[in-house]
Amino acid sequence: MSDLSTGIGCRDLRVHAGGRELLSAPELHVASGRTLAVLGPNGAGKSTLLRALGLLSSHRVSGQILLDGRPATRSLMRDAIAAVLQRPILRRGTVAANVISGLRFRGMSRREARIRAWPWIEALGLAPLADRDARSLSIGEAQRVSITRALAVGPRVLLLDEPFSGLDSTTRADLLADLRAALTGQPTATILVTHDREEALALAEDTALLIDGRIRQHGPTAQVLDHPSDADTARLLGYTNLLPPALTGRTLTLAARPEHTQLLLDPSDSHAVQTDDVRVVTGTLRRTVALGIATRVDVDTSTGPLTCLHPGDVLTTELPPIGSHVRVRIRHARSLITAD
Amino acid sequence: MDVLFDGLLDAIRLLLSGDQDSWSIIMLTLRVSLTATAIALLIGLPLGATLALARFPGRRMVLAAANTGMGMPPVVVGLFVTVLLWRSGPLGGLELLYTPTAMVIAQAAIATPIVVALVAAALQQVDPDFRVQMQALGATPIRAFAALLGEARLPLLAGAMAAFGAVVSEVGAAQMVGGNLAGQTRVLTTAAVLATSRGQFSLAIAFGMILLLIAFAVNLSLTLMQQRRTVLR
Repeated sequence: MSDLSTGIGCRDLRVHAGGRELLSAPELHVASGRTLAVLGPNGAGKSTLLRALGLLSSHRVSGQILLDGRPATRSLMRDAIAAVLQRPILRRGTVAANVISGLRFRGMSRREARIRAWPWIEALGLAPLADRDARSLSIGEAQRVSITRALAVGPRVLLLDEPFSGLDSTTRADLLADLRAALTGQPTATILVTHDREEALALAEDTALLIDGRIRQHGPTAQVLDHPSDADTARLLGYTNLLPPALTGRTLTLAARPEHTQLLLDPSDSHAVQTDDVRVVTGTLRRTVALGIATRVDVDTSTGPLTCLHPGDVLTTELPPIGSHVRVRIRHARSLITAD
Repeated sequence: MDVLFDGLLDAIRLLLSGDQDSWSIIMLTLRVSLTATAIALLIGLPLGATLALARFPGRRMVLAAANTGMGMPPVVVGLFVTVLLWRSGPLGGLELLYTPTAMVIAQAAIATPIVVALVAAALQQVDPDFRVQMQALGATPIRAFAALLGEARLPLLAGAMAAFGAVVSEVGAAQMVGGNLAGQTRVLTTAAVLATSRGQFSLAIAFGMILLLIAFAVNLSLTLMQQRRTVLR
């Protein structure tokens, strides 16, 4: 799948703090020109992993970090990496001065650094802001500067620690697209840490799911995002409706997305037919919530609650009264290998 | 008002006339206070930085001690240094009491806690991930630390100004460990006290004005350094 002689990786990586193991990653590798998304909930150890890989951790780290197939030293790593952290940390000074600071750390003169960085400043749309004081930027602009600063050093390894969290959706979408475009064709091994599936899908060929400091799944992004293996990864991937065998009659627990879980409103509905990809279960209607673009319907079944998401506004007159016996149609449910 | 006006005239006359005694007092004041401030910065910067950036047991106790030290009365410091340097004291053999060196020691002891506390505060107000971010852009740990100092330049220089201001204006310790010996350990503050006690108000005011002028000149140069528009261009 990937060439181990390029990019960044680790073997038997363990991170300890205060006598507790925060992270254990037996093997992980990202080749040059590829992007790995590390997807996990808050507190899963995503930032810990990223910092350990970049030799930036303040915790006790054991195991081996590999850079271009060789054990990484601090000075080799310094030359190779650039990172974007969750909060844009800019220095006092202009936008341009911030963008070139990585190149300046690498010993380049101010003039040379400006020449090298300018195409990136233009590509990321920062040219009009180049002489602005960095402290006067909005959070989105600051994060754009932080990303440009990292790209400008031409890193062989790019570490992105939730760079889009805290941005409004328009800013986030624009920056995501610009970063995707900037990375295309670059010989950079990129690791993106995020809790957002869309970001993984937009940027990464491969995705690893990190929960409680352990990598639970790892593979091509589309494959991983659509095939949770257990209840934790199912929840992380948006398969929040868990259907135990007692409810479905199957041997394995199934997991389904709320958007694939809908009430059967018409009793004679032809959709009620069960197929391999469609399950129909029964329950009691608990509540309905209009969310504008969708209507959320909560149903209690014999084995627990289910959340249905109906696109658009469902007229309340269409819905049976609270407490009614209802049937729920579930599509594209995935079988979980382990229930817990 | 006459006394004040006369004092002002006296000050100008003293400065312009090149009066030997007055100039030696001015130069000694500058030498002692600037040396003491420099020593305090040399000790206080690494200590304050360690308190700000490292995590170790007792860290908060040391910080609290430094914060207390900011308000330490110079007389108390003067007393301790006097006892240390007293002929029969632990460092009596050095025969430093009533010398400018003793004054530098006492004033450095006054200024160091101020520097420690203000450096610690200055560095802690920068984002805790600042150095990690700089290192993650290719900075060596030393370059990252230098960048951190640059980032906190404003409050750091304010700390230096506070330290200098505290020692140049104090009189208790200078009097106790220096002894206010004419031509040897007499500085502007002790000279002003002496002149006042003798009823030479205009001379005392003249010394006071010169003291203010020195404090202003030193702080002006530090302020100009502090308020340069940007570190990076």
